[in-house]
Amino acid sequence: MSEPAPIVLVVDDEIQIRRFLRTGFELNGFVVHEAGTGAEAVRTATLRPIDLAIVDLGLPDMDGAEVVERVRSWSSVPIIVLSVRSAEAEKVRLLELGADDYVVKPFGMAELLARVRVALRRQMRAVSGEPTVKAGPLTIDLAARAVLLNDKRLTLTPKEYRLLQVLAQHAGNVVTHQHLLKEVWGSIHVHDTHYLRIFVRKLRQKIEPHPDTPKILVTELGVGYRLVQSGAEGDEGAWSDNNAQAKSET
Amino acid sequence: MAIDNSPAFDRIRKQLPGVLITLGLVGCLTAVLFLLVWESGLAHGSIAYLIPVVIAATRWGIVPALVAAVCGVFASAFFFYPPAYSFRVKEPQEVIDLILFIFVAVTVSQLATRLKRQLEMARQREIDLRDLYAFSRRLAVAFDVSDIHAAIEDHLASIMQRHVVLFASARDASDSSGRRAGTAVPQRVLSEVAEVASGRRDTAGGAIVTAEDGEIWLVRAVSAKSLEFGVIAIDLGHESKERSDELRIRVDAVLADATATLERLGVAHAISEARMRAQTDQLREALIGSVSHELRTPLASILGAATVLSTAPALRQEKKLTALVHDVRDEAERLNNDIQNLLDATRISSDGIKPHVEWADPADIINSAAERCRHRLSDHRLALDVPPDLPLIHVDPVLVQQALVQIFDNAVKYSEANSRIEVAARTRDGQLHISVTDQGAGLTLTEAEKIWDRFARGERHAATTSGSGLGLWIASAFIGANDGKISAASKGPGLGTTISIDLPVSQAALPQLESGADE
Repeated sequence: MSEPAPIVLVVDDEIQIRRFLRTGFELNGFVVHEAGTGAEAVRTATLRPIDLAIVDLGLPDMDGAEVVERVRSWSSVPIIVLSVRSAEAEKVRLLELGADDYVVKPFGMAELLARVRVALRRQMRAVSGEPTVKAGPLTIDLAARAVLLNDKRLTLTPKEYRLLQVLAQHAGNVVTHQHLLKEVWGSIHVHDTHYLRIFVRKLRQKIEPHPDTPKILVTELGVGYRLVQSGAEGDEGAWSDNNAQAKSET
Repeated sequence: MAIDNSPAFDRIRKQLPGVLITLGLVGCLTAVLFLLVWESGLAHGSIAYLIPVVIAATRWGIVPALVAAVCGVFASAFFFYPPAYSFRVKEPQEVIDLILFIFVAVTVSQLATRLKRQLEMARQREIDLRDLYAFSRRLAVAFDVSDIHAAIEDHLASIMQRHVVLFASARDASDSSGRRAGTAVPQRVLSEVAEVASGRRDTAGGAIVTAEDGEIWLVRAVSAKSLEFGVIAIDLGHESKERSDELRIRVDAVLADATATLERLGVAHAISEARMRAQTDQLREALIGSVSHELRTPLASILGAATVLSTAPALRQEKKLTALVHDVRDEAERLNNDIQNLLDATRISSDGIKPHVEWADPADIINSAAERCRHRLSDHRLALDVPPDLPLIHVDPVLVQQALVQIFDNAVKYSEANSRIEVAARTRDGQLHISVTDQGAGLTLTEAEKIWDRFARGERHAATTSGSGLGLWIASAFIGANDGKISAASKGPGLGTTISIDLPVSQAALPQLESGADE
């Protein structure tokens, strides 16, 4: 491969977690730096070039959110947060602070890798200025403001297009309700979740091959929405290889 | 004048009204008798002078009675005995009269005083008994230890008419340095309370403490036998030594009654049991909470490591080893679910659930629950029947999803591989109705009653299926927190089970889209 190996910074106080993450990432061609504390994480992120950071929220010296905030204050490096379940409000807070995505502990390596690839691809697109986003049969051309489903152009209302545009700009990553509402309807409507629900329903009727079981515009319950990119099927659950098995059986 | 304040003068002043009225009575009687003697010519009316003596003795006590006796004898001597209008005594009859009158005066007044004192005691006793009765009635409806303590405190305060503070334990005393609402208890009293409550000091009769501000406090255990009832501090104010001793005896009496009531009702036992139960519960919840957390951390490593291994190139050709790794991963996942259930259960019983409600699409909730369970549902055929036009519901979508996951889990656990699990959603009578129907073990009548209990396990399946019995209990708690209802129906054993969730749809409450929303 001519491309240099991506460098990932793993921040977790549990040595066992760091160990399996290192092994998992290295097996997939990543270079891994480790940090056991928040201070060390901030230092490493400052001193060494990294392409992505994985941050656990329970750190001994500072809140994981603080690490996100500090790194985000000067760097646009993608950050994926490791969180626990039943903490939707916290996930939203972290995403608002600048984290790109989250993975719920315990998680499988495949799920984390899928998230990491999405985040890296998005970063690359942001750098290169690539104007089209593909999600399954859906193509969104941000430069031409055109949406194509199976190469057929769709007619969307301005608000529907705006919604899809914001999601496409963060393609693969979860976008919070508040962020979407603010971007599409303005800050006075940040709590009008029902706007979103109704527009997402309409939008799914247009862009999803099976609107009843959406696969492109998926809901992250209690947090927001995610535009699932093609080639990032790891999104489908914690144990993707098993899911593949399940799919082949049915 | 100095004499005004002397006790002797005081006593005289107190007797004065009685004496004056007695004199008036004697005067009136004399006038009446005089008229009678004048009219009828009776010789001896002197015995009638016993009337004012008896009246004075019963009403006002010994002094007015003696005055009545003496005045009576003199009046009869003066008016009725010959020679008339003279105090000279000719016959011994008058001496006998005088002795008789004085004897009657003393006896009757003493009898009357004793009677009066007994009456007063009886009345006080009646008040005490009424209070005690109210107290025991209040104890009977007391729900917990703090209710009982408040009852003791109020009872003492109302009987003693003093400021009374009850401390449940030594810690209560050290905690509440003046903190308790409206009760400023001096530091010196608090430390004494702490001493008594910890059992370091034996104070059967109570200890008198003079506080920093000079007020006298009585500190004693409510019951000499058991410290469970706590320790009371009574503010006696600036009383003299004798008066405070008197109050102390009264406190003894009241507390003797109160503790007898407490003991009769088995309150000591109840208090210690309730306290123990509360402690046990707390301990259990804390233990479950911390153990679950501690177990989860290594589980994250185990699961993660297993997923790394399962895709490792070195293992790819080793079919048997790969299967083993999958077992490690699946079992770790199951363990993780059990631990999550325990954590949810602790969350429900310790903090209660605080739903984060928002407008949610029911289809999203059902899809996401199915998605979460996809691995577990892979051996079953899941059929979703969710119409596209369901109304939005105002709930905590995550809680409803987790409840559905529990129901799916249960359906999978109690039905055969390859059988169908149907999920249907409908609106009906202003309710969103979600049903999950399996073709599994079904329910007997007794099982149908019990399945919502905490730790409920079907006896027919206890040996063949694993589980904590928490799942449906958690589901019902989560649905309940969203103002929903959950119910189960089955045609009988072996005929499948339908679990239904009803969530309110408040169409009127749904804010309409503003006209500008779709521009």
